[in-house]
Amino acid sequence: MRYLAIVGTNSEVSTNRLLLQFMQKHFSPEAEIEVYEIKELPAFMEPEDSEVPEKVAVLSDKILKADGIIIATPEYDHAIPAVLKSALEWISYTSQALTDKPVLIVGASHGTLGSSRAQAHLRQILDSPELAARIMPSSEFLLGKSQSAFDSSGNLIYSDKVSELEEIFREFVLFTDITSRLLKEKVLNKKVKKYTWQEQEDKLQ
Amino acid sequence: MKLIAIVGTNAKQSYNRKLLQFMKKHFESKAEIELLEIKDVPMFNQSDNQSYGEVIQRFNDKITACDGVIMATPEYNHSIPSGLKSLIEWLSFDLHPLAGKPVMIVGASLGTQGSSRAQLHLRQILDAPGVDANVMPGYEFLLGRANTAFDDAGNLNNEGTVDFLEICFLRFLRFAKISNQLNEEEEFSFEPGEYEVNAIGHSGNLPMKVSFSEKRIESIKIDTKGETEGIADVVFVRIPDKILEGQTLNVDALSGASETSHGVIDGVAKAVKLAGVNPDILKRRPKPASSRIREDEEYTCDVVVVGGGGAGLSAAATVLQNGCSAIVLEKYPAVGGNTIRSGGPVNAADPKWQMRFEENPGERHTLEALLSTDEREIHAEYLEDFRALKEDFAAYQNKFGTQKGHLFDSPLLHRIQTYFGGKRTDLNGNTIYGQYDLVKILTDRALESVNWLEEIGVEYDKSIVFAPVGALWRRGHKPVKSYGTAFILALSKYVEECSGKIITDSPVKEFIIENGEIKGVIATGVNGQKLTVHAKAVILASGGFGANTKMLKEYNTYWSHIDDDIRTTNSYAMTGDGIQLGKTVGAALTGMGFTQMMPVADPETGELFSGLQVPPENFVIVNLEGKRFINEFSGRDVLTKAAIDQGGLFYLIADDEIKKTAANTSQEKIDQQVEAGTLFRADTIEELAMKVGMEPAILKATVEKYNSYVEQGFDPEFHKDTFSLKVEKAPFYATPRKPAVHHTMGGLKIDTSACVLDENGKPIKNLYAAGEVAGGIHAGNRLGGNALTDIFTFGRIAGKTAVDKLK
Repeated sequence: MRYLAIVGTNSEVSTNRLLLQFMQKHFSPEAEIEVYEIKELPAFMEPEDSEVPEKVAVLSDKILKADGIIIATPEYDHAIPAVLKSALEWISYTSQALTDKPVLIVGASHGTLGSSRAQAHLRQILDSPELAARIMPSSEFLLGKSQSAFDSSGNLIYSDKVSELEEIFREFVLFTDITSRLLKEKVLNKKVKKYTWQEQEDKLQ
Repeated sequence: MKLIAIVGTNAKQSYNRKLLQFMKKHFESKAEIELLEIKDVPMFNQSDNQSYGEVIQRFNDKITACDGVIMATPEYNHSIPSGLKSLIEWLSFDLHPLAGKPVMIVGASLGTQGSSRAQLHLRQILDAPGVDANVMPGYEFLLGRANTAFDDAGNLNNEGTVDFLEICFLRFLRFAKISNQLNEEEEFSFEPGEYEVNAIGHSGNLPMKVSFSEKRIESIKIDTKGETEGIADVVFVRIPDKILEGQTLNVDALSGASETSHGVIDGVAKAVKLAGVNPDILKRRPKPASSRIREDEEYTCDVVVVGGGGAGLSAAATVLQNGCSAIVLEKYPAVGGNTIRSGGPVNAADPKWQMRFEENPGERHTLEALLSTDEREIHAEYLEDFRALKEDFAAYQNKFGTQKGHLFDSPLLHRIQTYFGGKRTDLNGNTIYGQYDLVKILTDRALESVNWLEEIGVEYDKSIVFAPVGALWRRGHKPVKSYGTAFILALSKYVEECSGKIITDSPVKEFIIENGEIKGVIATGVNGQKLTVHAKAVILASGGFGANTKMLKEYNTYWSHIDDDIRTTNSYAMTGDGIQLGKTVGAALTGMGFTQMMPVADPETGELFSGLQVPPENFVIVNLEGKRFINEFSGRDVLTKAAIDQGGLFYLIADDEIKKTAANTSQEKIDQQVEAGTLFRADTIEELAMKVGMEPAILKATVEKYNSYVEQGFDPEFHKDTFSLKVEKAPFYATPRKPAVHHTMGGLKIDTSACVLDENGKPIKNLYAAGEVAGGIHAGNRLGGNALTDIFTFGRIAGKTAVDKLK
């Protein structure tokens, strides 16, 4: 499997980044995971012309080529960081590359809750019609107290968390596989259109 | 009533904007509404704090000053737009203007739902800790089908909708009024008296005494015995000062010591509670005035010194002595740098003084061995000195024959030892040794530095001559006051008395360059403000890079391996900033690959002064098996390499008599550390061995053998040749040790006047450097006690050169 793992923050120091880097290494026998940074993307703003910024196009392309997406989100003010939201707005506004893409949500936080509220928001967001991702159901990986969770070589030191992550990842690989088979059956009638939220709403009327 | 209305999107076309514009007009008689746009708000990034930039400050000021906030949010992907989220993230990071602020949420959309999901998310977000807004419950105003809701003049065209908006808005005015009453401070009075509480510090409990009068916190006393020295000390002064100044618990933690800062704040909060007042009242008070100064500052002086350690303060003192003005910028909250963490002895040959001490057994042997070095191994520039030293020593031997003489020393011996001590070959086969002209100045002018310090106000203990670890010889002048504090206290007092200015908490970020010449520096002040210091000369005295593991690894050519989690004996401020600054103006670097490890550091903290630090003639080093593996008098890197080969950890063995020669400790501290399990004590050697997990018979045999060597004055095993005490009187002690980064020998290339040189060997105009930031003197390895000699000698030279070039 080939996965794209999105680091949900632009912070230089991030345990969510560490978590994805650990997954990349730990699951290398089973899957190829590319860790992707969103900090270089421009802040979302509906462009006046229909030009898609180059970096957004690159991200769309990476998403389209991946078998599935892993998103690691921190929690800022009970929700996902603005910078992650902005990246998703670009995708929904331009390529809608996440449509039908299998997605696994993980999160790390310094406190005990492990970004649970942000993960719930992210689920709702990815479920919106313009994103329409296939989020792996009833599974969440929350890593609390993440500041002391990794050793100096970047390994996750809580063994119970490692086995939980292995379980979830195994399930996600299966989910990716089943979803792709399911989609082959689906009659494709979807067309990507130039899109604004306001036009989308107009259409509904 | 004054309200702020935030347009929750950066889109050019927005019905949410239209809705707010209508509200502004429609409610004109009831409230003054000002619309704020978010399109210029940068993407939130905690690694690039723009809280104090113009855009975020504008929001902060407007929101702080208003009576309530209206937020209009569209819905993107079932949530609020990233632009609005980004703004809220900025307003909950360093600044918290929304805390306790009444907020009304509205939303418009083209569909029927009117951004209902986004409104729910926004409600949750505004409720998060750090944001803490006071969102009006109920009265949810959702404007669906917004494209048909307005007439050409921008008025809502449906009477029912307008009626409902009016109900919601009038409710909000009432909500805001009552809500703002909650923000007024409650009446309170303390139960006067002194309360004892325990706060949690970095290394355990901090007993505190806080006293109150009816209306004020009067004093905060903290017992800091158990805490780590250095940065934490600043916390114990700074945080209580801020609390008392503002009579508030809304005090920022100090960077680098946040745990201890919060410990102190929480401790005071506990005392406030004991005095019968809800600490939350004091937490809601504004920050102390001194924390709120954010005005940029501008200074002008003759010489600006970067770094307030020993070298920087000596340079500043010299500038002032020569009638020029000086400003010292220190990045940490307190001056002292690594100097304040040093053991104290300054190396300087002072034969007149040293003659008062008898020679130790084995010292003559050491010199004979040194002077029998094959001349072909000595670099040409040192040969003449080497021969002269031989003659001096021959005269000494003739004078005393087989009789016991006095302690022999001279600047020549100091020079030759510095040269031999620093000569090293790295992993690539490159050999390095101290640059002759710099080493000559160091050793010839060392005594002058010692005397100069005495004039400044440093008092020495002249009854004993010290040889710190790795010094190779007894020529250390130790101040009466403990550690390096003696120098820093005297120097900083002197600088301030001579009208020099010392600004702490202000890291220098860049040079001011005018017409291609350095004309001062720009620093960041304690509250993030910009400090511009115009000066005719800049002296870099900002220390080495021992606390920058990345940089150590990048340049390292000497150690086979540097661990990512290596400890350091240095101040955490030592991150190589001065070297990086120098590079920006083309300074040449020298000897960067060589770093010194302190072999005898605390295995847990990297600290130097835990356990029993006794002179090498007294301690016995054993490995985990209880066997000796090295001559205790070896240079630092030899000790370190040997220790790394033994797995890192080893023990210093001492007895009750040796204990008395430890410069770093008292009986009380010893008892404390034994109790904490960081130092081991036992009544017999065998018992001591058991405590640290060694075979008792092996340690016993090691100690017995060592004692016999002390008697003979000769060690056939490891050739230690300077002995003083035997290990024989109970109780016995074992101090665990492990190498930690101690000194970075490399740095900016300087000449004998402390001018910084560029790649072509030409001085860079107006730029000088002294101390650990400069390289070339200690080459591959620095003798113990030579760092202080270096900083006080070249610090003074840098100050003098800067002044001379001005005149």
